[in-house]
Amino acid sequence: METTHEALLPSVARGDTVAFESLYDRYSSTLYALLLRILSNPEDAQEVLQETFVKAWTNAKMFDSSRGSEIAWLISIARSRGIDKLRSRKIRGDRENDAGREISIHSSFVESTTGADKAVQSQESGAVRSALSELPEAQRVALELAYFEGFSQSEIAAKLGEPLGTIKTRMQLGMKKLRERLQAFK
Amino acid sequence: MTHEEFESIAALDAIGAATAEEAARLGGHLASCESCRRTRDEFAEAATLLAQDLDPVSPPPEVREHVIETIAEEDEIEDNVVDAGRRFINPWWLATAATLFLALWGWREFGMRVARENMRTQQAQIEQLKTENALLHDQKEKLAVEMSALAAPSTRAIALAGQQISPSASARVFLEPEKRRAIVFFQNLPSNPKDKSYQLWIIRADQPNPMSAGVFDVADNGNASIVIENLPLSTEMKALAVTLEPRGGAEQPTNTNFYLMGNS
Repeated sequence: METTHEALLPSVARGDTVAFESLYDRYSSTLYALLLRILSNPEDAQEVLQETFVKAWTNAKMFDSSRGSEIAWLISIARSRGIDKLRSRKIRGDRENDAGREISIHSSFVESTTGADKAVQSQESGAVRSALSELPEAQRVALELAYFEGFSQSEIAAKLGEPLGTIKTRMQLGMKKLRERLQAFK
Repeated sequence: MTHEEFESIAALDAIGAATAEEAARLGGHLASCESCRRTRDEFAEAATLLAQDLDPVSPPPEVREHVIETIAEEDEIEDNVVDAGRRFINPWWLATAATLFLALWGWREFGMRVARENMRTQQAQIEQLKTENALLHDQKEKLAVEMSALAAPSTRAIALAGQQISPSASARVFLEPEKRRAIVFFQNLPSNPKDKSYQLWIIRADQPNPMSAGVFDVADNGNASIVIENLPLSTEMKALAVTLEPRGGAEQPTNTNFYLMGNS
């Protein structure tokens, strides 16, 4: 997990541009992947990625390591802005048309991280995937619809043709399992 | 709600799936519950596992360049603001600001004083208007009585003529026998001194002494009017006369200088 890295945000908060560049190099590919997943559009994803890092630069002083990790803080900013963008442009209707493009984006992934970061990322990614692979498919789908698509409980229930209570329980159980796994990592 | 129930909402809130009502309840609870705040933070961290599970994708290099340029510009703007702030905080500016503050404070105090004075003036005007309104109300009542008396079919008019001391004066008495009421209009009487009042007397057939019917003042225009209630029966009234008496009137006439006189 990210805890194996040296935290950069405290230095960024002091105006250290070198630390900021390192922050970008370390997390930009994770955040860009997230934004592509949410927005299904490279131009939009790049725009929101820029906004995310600029906000990280200006708000770095607000980061509180006692409340969560550096990567979680950045992901929260990116996800929130990505969902806002998604809603504002109402591009949900276009998402199906963009599905093919999403596949090509993933296949054109270019590795740019350093060797050390790559090793750490690989280790972290394996742990995360292990946590998610333990989730029942139905729980995972419900969580992803909320997290990546910004759907509400009732929208997810309608989309999956399930009672609202069932969807709510699935999401709560899924989140509790993820939380347990996260605590186990620590 | 129990802490467990709030935890369930926190789980949904971490992925943006709590309803607005649930989020509001949770927010209220988190403000005072350290334990649930910690749980909410843990769920928020756990939710990011969904993002970290994705295969990383490197953004185009120009995005990095643009981000670096943007923060450099932000720094420049911030430096300018800080410099401007420093310039502002030198002693000369502080003195100017203090002077300006005192001037504004003084102006505000002056404004408040003027406002209070205006309020007092307006209050006095309101009182005056109330008094005038009461007077107008009385006049309206009086006019209504006068109109009623003048229009009544049984009303009888009596003329009073000016006497030697005021030959041009005159008066008309409109008598309503049924109501034992009369309205008297005086014209061309000299205005009375401040320490004197005019007094109207009824000379009755059944009594040796005149009876006071009321006192009145005459303004510079020489006109006045009074309403007399509880008059004696018309058959008992022989004549009417006006004298000038001490302020407020007298029990009996103090002199025989009649200003007006007439037979009823």
